[in-house]
Amino acid sequence: MAEFLLEAKNVSVTFGSGATKVEAVKNVSLTLRAGEPIGIVGESGSGKSTLARVLAGLQVPTEGEIFFNGEPVYKGAKSYTGEARRQVQMVFQDPYGSLNPQLTGLNAVAEAVRIHDKTNKELSETRALELLRRMGIAELDAIKKPRQLSGGQRQRVSVARALSASPTVLLADEPTSAIDQSAQAQLLNLFRGLLDDGLAIVLVSHDLGVIRYLTNRVYVMKDGVFVESGITEEIFNDPREEYTKILLASIPGTLGTAARQKLQQG
Amino acid sequence: MSTPNKPLIQIKDVVIGIPHKRRPTLIIVNNANFDINYGEMVGIVGESGSGKTMICRTMIGTLERRGGKILSGDVVFEGQSLATASESDWKKLRGKSIGYVPQSALAGPNPVLTIEAQLAEALRNTGDTKNIKARSKELLDLVKIRRVDTVMKQYPYQLSGGMRQRVMIACALATSPKLLIADEPTTGLDVTVQSQIMDLLKEIRSSMGTAIVLISHDLALIDEVCDRVVVMHAGATVEVGSVKDLEKPRHPYTIALNSSRIDIAEPGSELVTIKGSAPSVGEWNPGCRFADRCSIVQSDCRIGDHPALIGGSGTHQTACIHTELLERI
Repeated sequence: MAEFLLEAKNVSVTFGSGATKVEAVKNVSLTLRAGEPIGIVGESGSGKSTLARVLAGLQVPTEGEIFFNGEPVYKGAKSYTGEARRQVQMVFQDPYGSLNPQLTGLNAVAEAVRIHDKTNKELSETRALELLRRMGIAELDAIKKPRQLSGGQRQRVSVARALSASPTVLLADEPTSAIDQSAQAQLLNLFRGLLDDGLAIVLVSHDLGVIRYLTNRVYVMKDGVFVESGITEEIFNDPREEYTKILLASIPGTLGTAARQKLQQG
Repeated sequence: MSTPNKPLIQIKDVVIGIPHKRRPTLIIVNNANFDINYGEMVGIVGESGSGKTMICRTMIGTLERRGGKILSGDVVFEGQSLATASESDWKKLRGKSIGYVPQSALAGPNPVLTIEAQLAEALRNTGDTKNIKARSKELLDLVKIRRVDTVMKQYPYQLSGGMRQRVMIACALATSPKLLIADEPTTGLDVTVQSQIMDLLKEIRSSMGTAIVLISHDLALIDEVCDRVVVMHAGATVEVGSVKDLEKPRHPYTIALNSSRIDIAEPGSELVTIKGSAPSVGEWNPGCRFADRCSIVQSDCRIGDHPALIGGSGTHQTACIHTELLERI
């Protein structure tokens, strides 16, 4: 067993070439232990979603490699293969766009179960219902189509779908930014339950409140590089980089007040 | 000039419905009741579907375009009743005395017009068509856009989300409105941009004396920038008070909202969630619409109409009829 469940080594992602060349991710390295919650924060355009896509096996890095359980996963291939494909699952930002509008929550999850477990319709539906129930979606709501569900419910269906493969890593790209406060609290409670069950979570977000609440370690990303990383609590209490200080001072309410005072004092 | 503590706009027992040809009219807002004073910054909070945006539309007179109708009650702006105002009456107010910044910064500006053309359009609305170019530049300066000359010639797609939202605010300020309504102006924007936009709104308010309505579901944000808060649940105003008043909420819904706040929760602790989901529009039971989700619900909470705000003319009003039980939560 490798020390790290998931590891990114010197990963770079470049889009386009010549004058339109964009270096979205520049030589970043990241580690994730089994069962650990980590966060990636940064503004729009910092490259955090691209990095998440690389970790999820949806984007081939231009340079560098991802290791799953110590094994390189891309090896020049176009996407994750083998075990990593199943064990690293992703929840997307937009609960309105990431579910098939034609499928009920139950069918969407059952379809994913069939693909991963290769079981029949009946067994997959039983398992799907079980997953949905765990995410707080009752049978009554499970047979509804996405448009009949609230944003928070849709996001929980997405999480249930991601869990259908029994992953060991859940990558969540801004899972709470499109849903309102009480739905956010519900989702975060569920994430905590998943952590208790031993799942590792990579939370990508620009919401520092959510990062502080859920993660143990955090990587602060700006212009494609990590400007600071470390224990979440330490970074919140004593940020070293100017950028992190500004980011913390921007949080509305009590959380940002202390950071703002520190920033003003210089 | 601004007169503090005098209402600029009053929402009086407004009932909004969507009439339907075959089915009965769907009531979407009932018991909305609050004032906004001159130069005041007021936040409206509530879950999705609580009627925040509908109230917004009644204040800018675009309700009927979306099929809505004020069934009873009144909206009074500077003493003028607007419940039955015609489109031509509204044209004298909207984009003049009342400015509006829409929710989606990215889709807000017209994609095929340059920034200059959009500002010019807003400025022509004032009736004064002189020096439009110079005035446009002043507006962009006001919202702290740098490289004004370059930005004037650009199209919205060439600007970042934060810049686009600044342009929208500049358009809304073109006519020096007395009331600026901002519907979730920073949803989808980064925290750093959000804090810049909020600083800008605060500055506009103090330099121009504009009253600002900020609609948001982020309580922490409202706490930081607003003077007063209006809490909405299922189409009704359930609590109104100053930010300070709301530190000791007097409605179970506000208490629940406060305790689901992530910024004050201990990391890793169980977050308090509100039981169930807000009742769907048109599926409201008699009595208090929060009853099914409330932990201190009593039998008399489920009878009659939705309770009105109590607390008289005081600053802190609640629609909870059992405030004596709040300690149990």
